[in-house]
Amino acid sequence: MDVTNVVVEAMPHFEGYVYPNEATLEPLWSVLIVLYPYITGLVAGAFIMASLVRVFRVKALEPVYRLSLLTAMSFMLCATLPLLIHLGHPERCYEIMMTPHLTSPMAIFGFVYAWYLMAVLLLELWFDYRLDFVRWSKTEKGFKGLLYRILTVGVTDESVGAVALDHKLSWIISIVGIPSAFLLHGYVGFIFGSIKANPWWGNVLMPIIFILSAIVSGIALCVIHYMIVSWVRRKPIDMRCLDIMGMFLFYALVVDATIETLDWVHRIYSKEEDFAVIQQMAREKLFFSLNIGQALCGTLLPLLMLGATQLARKRIPDIVRKRMYLASGMLIVLGVLAMRWNVVIGGQLFSKSLRGFMSYKMEFTGMEGLLMGGAVLALPFVIFVVMVKLFLPEKSPAQAAEAVTI
Amino acid sequence: MNTRFKLPPQIVRLVLLTVGIVGSYLIARAFLTPSSFGQYGWYRGDALMEAASHPRTFAGKPACTECHEEQAKQLAKFNHQSLSCEVCHGPGQAHVENFDVKLPVLTHGHCLRCHEKNPSRPHWHKQISSREHFPGDKCIECHKPHAPSEVP
Repeated sequence: MDVTNVVVEAMPHFEGYVYPNEATLEPLWSVLIVLYPYITGLVAGAFIMASLVRVFRVKALEPVYRLSLLTAMSFMLCATLPLLIHLGHPERCYEIMMTPHLTSPMAIFGFVYAWYLMAVLLLELWFDYRLDFVRWSKTEKGFKGLLYRILTVGVTDESVGAVALDHKLSWIISIVGIPSAFLLHGYVGFIFGSIKANPWWGNVLMPIIFILSAIVSGIALCVIHYMIVSWVRRKPIDMRCLDIMGMFLFYALVVDATIETLDWVHRIYSKEEDFAVIQQMAREKLFFSLNIGQALCGTLLPLLMLGATQLARKRIPDIVRKRMYLASGMLIVLGVLAMRWNVVIGGQLFSKSLRGFMSYKMEFTGMEGLLMGGAVLALPFVIFVVMVKLFLPEKSPAQAAEAVTI
Repeated sequence: MNTRFKLPPQIVRLVLLTVGIVGSYLIARAFLTPSSFGQYGWYRGDALMEAASHPRTFAGKPACTECHEEQAKQLAKFNHQSLSCEVCHGPGQAHVENFDVKLPVLTHGHCLRCHEKNPSRPHWHKQISSREHFPGDKCIECHKPHAPSEVP
């Protein structure tokens, strides 16, 4: 046998010095754990987008209010899926609820998730849709009719007072929802940021970076969804709404990019003994996903494009602006995915000895492979399409009634 | 005039629904929480016994020494004395139970796991670069793992 093969057999994936417990075939947290903060971030971001309408009264964004909530909901339903698949044994999923752990940081996600899904998203959607459910349940037949009837929970009050109460409660839940959305995603950042021994993760700015990048990715996804839904339905895009979305996306991206740069400056300056390994990570190991994916395509290019639309909005024709918004949205959504990759995988690619590197080659099939990752990421979009079909008709009964009264 | 305060129907239904969900959760918990949960901490107390009852794969050094006394004595004189037999030879419980079951065949990958040159290893630890140190030859052609300081 050739000796080089023996060496490869003995130490297949490592460079330099790696501790025995780090010498695993692939990182313990693989692509599914990359998707988990990504999907959760999209939920939080899409919800913040919706709250711009309800809490901050940005009237121009009214056309995308429900779309944002449905986006948040469809991703929320899949947020725990990567964790479930990663842990294996999905048949044990109920056990986390039967024996809840009150002091484990990891288990706290169960509480944060349950609060956000049950007390915030579902309630806000229900109060917003209640009147529509009542009206749809009267007009629709068959399965859809039954679904709408179930969703009314037996409340068929259409009086002005009841609707006013719906609006008020929806507004209160939105206000509660903003800190909850921050909590939901700040928590994910906290999980990484609290690992003091890992210089790539241990940083108090981590929760803030996660929240900001979540807001950016959520708004970008809403831009994409709005444009695609309008295109599929052959409906004209409300340019004022799109411009305002672009404006918020730009400002959110500016703040996000600034804080992420600050994080890097802080890291470079303060991590004295870890600096060499961080430098090698940025220059070699994560060169493409960090410099090209996250910094150039995910941040710089969208900043330039969105900045141009802010500076010269009137001079750029509508069609060009639309393309620029769509391109920026897509680049940002991919850039944030690259950011999650860099955090999750990057933090596991170097040894705690700071003198060695592990590697990660994603498998294609298998529970933690590319196919599974793709399926997990595609599922929220499928749910979104179903939700749009069910809950976002071209004109909802409530909107139609409002149009008549106005 | 009826001035009695009446809860709005949405609130009544939501409260009922919440009570229903929380109630069914509590009932499910009463049935599905394992009886030994919380006995020692946030886990099933029975899990300890279950883990202990798994079939053994490693036999331990004393079990090897019972039959291979000569090798054990030799090993005790040299630098590999602190190593357990199964570190190099692999898990041996099946072999202890039935001598017909053979242990896995060794390759020099085993030697190189500890002795391949690596600047992070302490200097006193014997290391070679397998690309330069008699490439193509097997380690045991020159070295005795049971008596590493002896030259054959």
